[in-house]
Amino acid sequence: MRWTWTGRWTGVVLVVSMVGLGGCAARRVSAHVDPRADFTQFETFDWGPADALPAGDPRLDADGFFQDHMQGAVERQMLLKGYQRAAVGATPDVRIHFHAVIRERLDVDALDARRGVCSGHDCGPGVTQFEEGTLLVDVMDSRTNRLVWRGWAQDSVGDALENHDTLARRIEQGVQGLMKALPGRK
Amino acid sequence: MRPRIVVIRSLAFAALLGTVACASMHVQTYVPRGANVRQYHTYAWAPAGAFETGDPRLDNNTLFIERLQSAVERQLARKGWAPVQAKEADVVVHFHARVDQRLDLAEKPGSGRPAEDSRGGPQVYDAGTLLLDFVEARSNTLLWRGWAEGSVDGVIDNQAWMNERIDAAVERILAAFP
Repeated sequence: MRWTWTGRWTGVVLVVSMVGLGGCAARRVSAHVDPRADFTQFETFDWGPADALPAGDPRLDADGFFQDHMQGAVERQMLLKGYQRAAVGATPDVRIHFHAVIRERLDVDALDARRGVCSGHDCGPGVTQFEEGTLLVDVMDSRTNRLVWRGWAQDSVGDALENHDTLARRIEQGVQGLMKALPGRK
Repeated sequence: MRPRIVVIRSLAFAALLGTVACASMHVQTYVPRGANVRQYHTYAWAPAGAFETGDPRLDNNTLFIERLQSAVERQLARKGWAPVQAKEADVVVHFHARVDQRLDLAEKPGSGRPAEDSRGGPQVYDAGTLLLDFVEARSNTLLWRGWAEGSVDGVIDNQAWMNERIDAAVERILAAFP
C-alpha cells in the first residue's frame, strides 16, 4: 500500500525508515479462541505440513533460520504448558501451523516534538513509517481439522531482519508473549 | 444503464461525519436497477474461497468467518429467509472483509484548514469493511449489496469486542434487507 503526502499540515514531520527510533507501536499480543473447543482433550501436538505456509517474506524464507527458531520457540512453550510432542507415526491431538507476515505500516509519534526532533511553535506529532511483523501460531484440532486457537504478536521488525541475533531474540519474546493466552495443561 | 444507489445512514452517525469518530460505522446498500430480491426466500453460502483481508490476523481465520456467518444467518432467519442446500437456493450469499490502515489528517470539518489544537493532528487507524452480496443463483447476477465501514482499531485484538462489532455491523447492513 502506498501513501501520498500532501504536505498541507506543516507541523507534521514525515520520518521514513526511523525504525526502532521513533516510538513505533509497541509489541502487541493477542489471540482468538474457539469458545466450543475443550482444551482438556488435547495432550499431544505435532507440526502441520511445513510447506503449507511460507514464512511470508523473502527475507525470512531465504534460509532456515526463521523456521528453526520459530519451531524451537513454539515447542518450548508447548512443553512448558504441559503438552507433549506426539510420538513418531502417532496422530497428534492438535497440529500447529505458524507463519510471519511483514508489511509497511504508519504510526503517529507525538514524542518527536518533545525530543526536539523539530523545533518552533508549529512542531507537531510526526508520522513514521515502519515495518510491522506479525508472528502467527495456529492450533488446529487434528480430528476435525478446525482452527481452535490463533495467537499473534505484532511489533516493528526492521532491525531484526538485518541481524540474526536480534531476530532470534524477537522470535523468542514474541512467541513467549503470544503463547501465554493458550490454555495450558498445568 | 446507471445503477440506482440507495444510501442509508442513520442520523446519529451522520452527525459524526468528518470527525475522527472511532466508533462510527457507515452503512450503505446498493440495488442494481430492476433487481428484486423480495421474490426469494432461500439462500446458501457461496463456497468458501480464500480471500485476502489485508490483515494477517484475519486471513484464513475460521473463527472470524464462522462468527460472521452465524451473525448473518441469525438476521436472515428473523427476516424469514431459510438456509438450504446450494443446489436448491434462490440466492447465493457472498461475504468479503477487508482491513486497511488509513491516515487521517483530522482537519476541522467545514473550515478547510487543518486542526491545530492539541486533539487534532494526524491519526492512523485500521478501517474495516464488511460486505455482503446477494446473488441470484439462476442467473448469477447481483440482486442486493450491503456494506459497513468503520474504524476497527484495537478491535481484532479483542475477540469479544470483535464479535460485538461483527454482530452490530451485520445487523445494520441487513436492517435494510427485505
